[in-house]
Amino acid sequence: MTGHDFPDALKQLLDEFSRSGIRELHIRKPDFELYLSTDASAARPQAATPVAAPASVPVAQPAAPSRPIAAPPALISSLPDDAIIIKAPNLGTFYRAPKPGAANYVEVGSKVQAGDELCLIEVMKLFTAVRAGSSGTVQAVLVEDGAMVEGGQPLFALVRD
Amino acid sequence: MPIKRLFVANRGEIALRIVRAAQALNIETVVAVSDADRDSAAARLADRSIVLGPAAAAKSYLDPRLIVHAAKESGCDGLHPGYGFLSERAILPRLCAQHGIAFVGPEPDVIDALGDKLRARAMAGAAGVPLVPGSECVASAADARREGDRIGYPVLLKASAGGGGRGMVIANNGDEAEAGFHKASAEAVAAFGDGTLFMERFVPEARHVEVQLMGDGKGQVLHFGERDCSVQRRYQKLIEEAPCAAMPDHLRRQLHESAVALAASVNYRNAGTAEFLFDVQRQEFYFIEVNARIQVEHPVSEAITGFDLVQEQIRIAGGAGLSVSQQDVKISGHAIECRINAEDAARDFLPSPGRITRWEPPQGPGIRLDSHMSAGAMIPPFYDSMVGKLIVHGSDRADAIARLGDAIDHFVVEGVPTTLPLHRAIIAHPDFIENRIHTRWLEQVLLPDYGKKAA
Repeated sequence: MTGHDFPDALKQLLDEFSRSGIRELHIRKPDFELYLSTDASAARPQAATPVAAPASVPVAQPAAPSRPIAAPPALISSLPDDAIIIKAPNLGTFYRAPKPGAANYVEVGSKVQAGDELCLIEVMKLFTAVRAGSSGTVQAVLVEDGAMVEGGQPLFALVRD
Repeated sequence: MPIKRLFVANRGEIALRIVRAAQALNIETVVAVSDADRDSAAARLADRSIVLGPAAAAKSYLDPRLIVHAAKESGCDGLHPGYGFLSERAILPRLCAQHGIAFVGPEPDVIDALGDKLRARAMAGAAGVPLVPGSECVASAADARREGDRIGYPVLLKASAGGGGRGMVIANNGDEAEAGFHKASAEAVAAFGDGTLFMERFVPEARHVEVQLMGDGKGQVLHFGERDCSVQRRYQKLIEEAPCAAMPDHLRRQLHESAVALAASVNYRNAGTAEFLFDVQRQEFYFIEVNARIQVEHPVSEAITGFDLVQEQIRIAGGAGLSVSQQDVKISGHAIECRINAEDAARDFLPSPGRITRWEPPQGPGIRLDSHMSAGAMIPPFYDSMVGKLIVHGSDRADAIARLGDAIDHFVVEGVPTTLPLHRAIIAHPDFIENRIHTRWLEQVLLPDYGKKAA
């Protein structure tokens, strides 16, 4: 990878990486380092320059009614370069609280520890908790409570303390 | 009620085929994809695509709850399972029924009954369908020897829960029957969690012949002629033809009647295929099994009858009756399909995923290509290796072979090896041209030579 073809090559690499199913890729050369991970909460390598961190992430609209066929359009919102994006492990319905009427697991500004529950993803009455991979502060909640999320859809942005 | 929005619970060429059929019927489509198939042709053509989960099929295409949840939440009132994956798992139509979604396929109880080979065999026998001489359940190695002696060797030991050739052993005498019992039973336990076996006469040179069926669920069943799928490797079909040119007309009529009688006896709904062994020497056919879904090779039946079977499936699932009657189904000409797999036939059919760099399919009268590929498309390594099906239709078998040869010669694929050169070799072989093939012909006759030439 030379400076000249860098943007194209990087784009191609990102493309290949996201298609490949590989969970983690780390390239280190004297003047260049790249770390890619599908696990948004993955700890980055110590000396890494995380070029892969998204400068902005799509933010979902309020849940669309089930009638229209189109997926909710994504909005772009700026987040810090080092934001950690928590993604849905699979498709399901996104719930911010453990049960109806209960307090949400987290709000914007909540401090979380690694392993803390952030939300539930429900598939046919089977609820799976999504947990934080590292400690941090919730910067944004990217999906409306009760909306269907797709596999890999960003749910939360955290910033490391 | 006609389906308004159809959920496509499959991938690859059949997902694309279903989307196109739905669009022709003015039905909206939602395609479910794994993370690896986000940019698939079906996903791009559909009104909406939804990412189920990761590339691994167990976490996406093989999770019935995930799929029905997605179908419900995306407002679909119909679901087409395609072939493979969950298409013959009764839990999928059961979940669909619980959520008011019309399943494009048979009733779940019928799927369960036909999926159990012993039950299916009993149902076929009750409907008067010829069965290969065989046994009930075989409980021990001693049983296997006794039954083998009675049926006459060679015999085939088969797993009741089986499919795809797993849990199957050939025995040529009593000792082999005993040893085969242990081997097949262990394989069946490993593959299906159920070691139940049965036995049947093994026909060394059989043709695989099958009848395309379509039922309205109320006892009326039509057939769309038969297909000959005798070019196989490890029980996987490579080339399919319609009609079966090796079968005399009086047997053909009996074959169709048997298949229809079986399906009608269970009020079969939607598309299905009754599979038979055709013993050419004895001029007899025997029931094998029913596939309760649309099959990969349905296009050859469409070619010779002029009907769109997938559209018919969707209409029937929406509550419509059969759109035609049996006398409207006329057979015209001969069709051949070859499955194009991204495999290297010279290296023991090594699956070869990767990126297609050139994709220039042949065009012309009588040529159809069902494929989700294009230049630049990626074949992910997680699923089967089929990249398309090339179908030709000619005035007779010789004409169809000539057209297929011409079509393959003009088909340019680069980036990954495919089975196209193998298909070219098969259809140029005198045995194929003179129609002297059987289900083990490819492995016994052509492939040993083909390996040498390629090396």
